[in-house]
Amino acid sequence: MKTPVGVLRLPRGPEPNSRGFDPNSPRFQALCSTSLTSSSSSVDIEEQRLRAEQREHFLRALLLMTDKRVDFQLLEKLRMRGRFGASDIDVLNFQVSDLETPLGVQKEALLRCHDIISCAFEL
Amino acid sequence: MQRWVDMSPRQWQEFINQEVCVSARDQHSFTGRVFTVDPVSASVVLVSFGESERPAVTLVLGHAISDVQVLSAGSEQTRSRMRSVFLQTHTPTHTLSADELQRRRESVRRWLQDNRIPVQEDGELLRVAHALTISAPYGPGDCSCANQIILARVQSLLENNPETSGDALTNESTQGSG
Repeated sequence: MKTPVGVLRLPRGPEPNSRGFDPNSPRFQALCSTSLTSSSSSVDIEEQRLRAEQREHFLRALLLMTDKRVDFQLLEKLRMRGRFGASDIDVLNFQVSDLETPLGVQKEALLRCHDIISCAFEL
Repeated sequence: MQRWVDMSPRQWQEFINQEVCVSARDQHSFTGRVFTVDPVSASVVLVSFGESERPAVTLVLGHAISDVQVLSAGSEQTRSRMRSVFLQTHTPTHTLSADELQRRRESVRRWLQDNRIPVQEDGELLRVAHALTISAPYGPGDCSCANQIILARVQSLLENNPETSGDALTNESTQGSG
């Protein structure tokens, strides 16, 4: 599985007609849904603090995963190994390099997080 | 139990530092200690320390989680062990004496002032232009600022400080927002 295969399809770019943010994205729901739905109860300080701390720890975990060989467990019992590059802000896509697929080694790839169940790596 | 992705940060916080078993799609299950839960995607970061002492980290994506069961509670010891894995601090300040910190602070302050950057000392901190703060040991990685442009400018300035560029102060600089 060492022969690199050519890129079959480029990833789709951002929507040309939208303003740039997606009201259905998890991030929008998490941050703005409260201002849309509830008028009285504001998200309290403690919850905001927890949210910030949890997110910061998560970002540090992602930083640790960078440039490591990662075992991706995908849907339909599919497993692939690749080098983790980066994630987007909503954790919707992962950029990976040297992805070992059943069709060969993909030099660069974008994995949809919705197809991924877990990522495992060693420090 | 409520759906995992619908829980609040307070509810996720209950699981942090606990040894858990995460059940996911396709009958997968993962065990480990919870380091954090991403509030944006509800993804869980699990750590387990094998016999080889090399920590194994598993990130389980939030959308795939069906259930999380607590197996055993964690302790302060397990919490600090996890933190040491993920939150490595560079050049621990407690190894530097007060005099050495003072000297570095002075050096950085003078360098910034020579470059016409307004800077004030505030105890152990350096306050730059009422927008950025530099904490000990005053390296490029010790700046915190809400503005990415100011952060990048000051960081590159600190990297070019002729007095400290020979020291082992250089670390990976972190960007402003995440």
